[in-house]
Amino acid sequence: MSEFLFYLLSVIALVGGLGVIFSKSPMGSVLSLLLSFFALAVVYLLAGFAFMAAVQILVYAGAIMVLFLFVIMLLNLGGMGTRFELSAAPLSSSRAKLAAVVAAGVGLAGLIAAQRASLPALPEGGAPERIDDIQQIAIALFGRYSLPFQAVSLLLLVTMVAVLVLAKRRGKESAQ
Amino acid sequence: MDVPQPLIWIAKIVVIFGGLVGTAALMSLAERKVSAWMQYRIGPNRVGPFGLLQPLADGIKFIFKEELIPAGANKFMFRLAPALSAAPAMLTMAVIPIGGTAVIAGREIPLSIADVDIGVLFLLAFSGLSIYGVILGGWASNSKYSLLGGLRASAQMISYELTLILTILAVVALEGTLNLRAISENQASIGQWNIWTQPLAFVLFTITMFAETNRHPFDFAECEPELVGGFHTEYSAMRFALYFLGEYCAMTVLSCLNATLFLGGPSVPFWPEAPWFIGVAAFCLKAGFFLFLFLWVRWSLPRMRFDQLMRLGWKVFLPLALANLLVTGAFISFGAH
Repeated sequence: MSEFLFYLLSVIALVGGLGVIFSKSPMGSVLSLLLSFFALAVVYLLAGFAFMAAVQILVYAGAIMVLFLFVIMLLNLGGMGTRFELSAAPLSSSRAKLAAVVAAGVGLAGLIAAQRASLPALPEGGAPERIDDIQQIAIALFGRYSLPFQAVSLLLLVTMVAVLVLAKRRGKESAQ
Repeated sequence: MDVPQPLIWIAKIVVIFGGLVGTAALMSLAERKVSAWMQYRIGPNRVGPFGLLQPLADGIKFIFKEELIPAGANKFMFRLAPALSAAPAMLTMAVIPIGGTAVIAGREIPLSIADVDIGVLFLLAFSGLSIYGVILGGWASNSKYSLLGGLRASAQMISYELTLILTILAVVALEGTLNLRAISENQASIGQWNIWTQPLAFVLFTITMFAETNRHPFDFAECEPELVGGFHTEYSAMRFALYFLGEYCAMTVLSCLNATLFLGGPSVPFWPEAPWFIGVAAFCLKAGFFLFLFLWVRWSLPRMRFDQLMRLGWKVFLPLALANLLVTGAFISFGAH
């Protein structure tokens, strides 16, 4: 039964993922992604990760996708197809280059830190019995994996700044 | 006689879910009755004794009304949105313990549909999803009023959800568990109720409840003088009723959650050995008080302005909730132990 459910959910998740790419309207993409997220959440649930499933829905479906919907509705991207293409021209100002270098460096440092911190992957005797214990997750996240955790959050910040820079640049170009 | 376990599950689902929908239906009557009493009127009293069958009559009317879909609307989304608004609100009731453990014919039955360790997270995850119904309904109607109403509602729900989560988090940190049954069992006597240890969180949660369900004085989503009906302007017949059902269900669930988190759930003051049905009655009474509060406030206070609402949410409630969480954390770390 659970094996059948797993394959069914995988198919749903894949269909949702394909829908994101092939859907004609941005709204359809958002809803397809939502479908994919839900299928994944149920897969987590099947694997015994109830916490992960709840967080998946809470964070992705409940927060991030709502923001996506907001942007799509506010910008009214209904008929936009080609304007998503980013100009391939390299960033020319030295500050932008510096920002890119810093971002890449932080990303690299984060990856290395994650690699080093996760060397002893599992305690002896396989996975712990209660894989879903929130306390264990917290101890692992804020103890052993604290550095990669911080690095990832810094990386997210850098990404956000980069997006702002790119968006500003495009705004200037279209104004000229 | 030995009743098989699945039958008990089904019975619990029917009773709790039916109770939720029944409460929602009665709330539509109570809304009109309470408003009538507050304005020195009588209110609906024609259908059944004291107008008690009015919700039934309304339901039949809604089902047989003609349904209109505006031109240019996205038909699929337009049909889907009301269900997306009502379903999550109903689902969240599954994790709320309406009582302790019932003993019927020598058999112990825990009085909640699902007793899960991540109850609080489940509830937050699914109550956050009801935004989709509002935002998609507003978008799919292809009408400016609907779109503005949908946007307002979702902006408001997102803003106040933060405060809601932070206040709940303070209680969760204090109790050390996400299991709603454990949280309610930890408050067995009146001295252990979380309202005494978390008074600020209780006040913030109670006010945030109104914003989270788009109720008066924060009901900008359907602010009649500005937006006609807000996101459900274009809806008619049963789909319109579904939006209302969702709203009343969300109110009921949040009232139950408030009673569970802060008022000890089914615990009866000064009577720790109360039988289980008294506990259920106490729980209903506590939740019922908050439901009445919704109506009481609606017919007493004027509506705020949208910028006031946003300022209150981000500049007053969020810092207060954060500070409350910080103090709670400090107390747990350095105080009690």
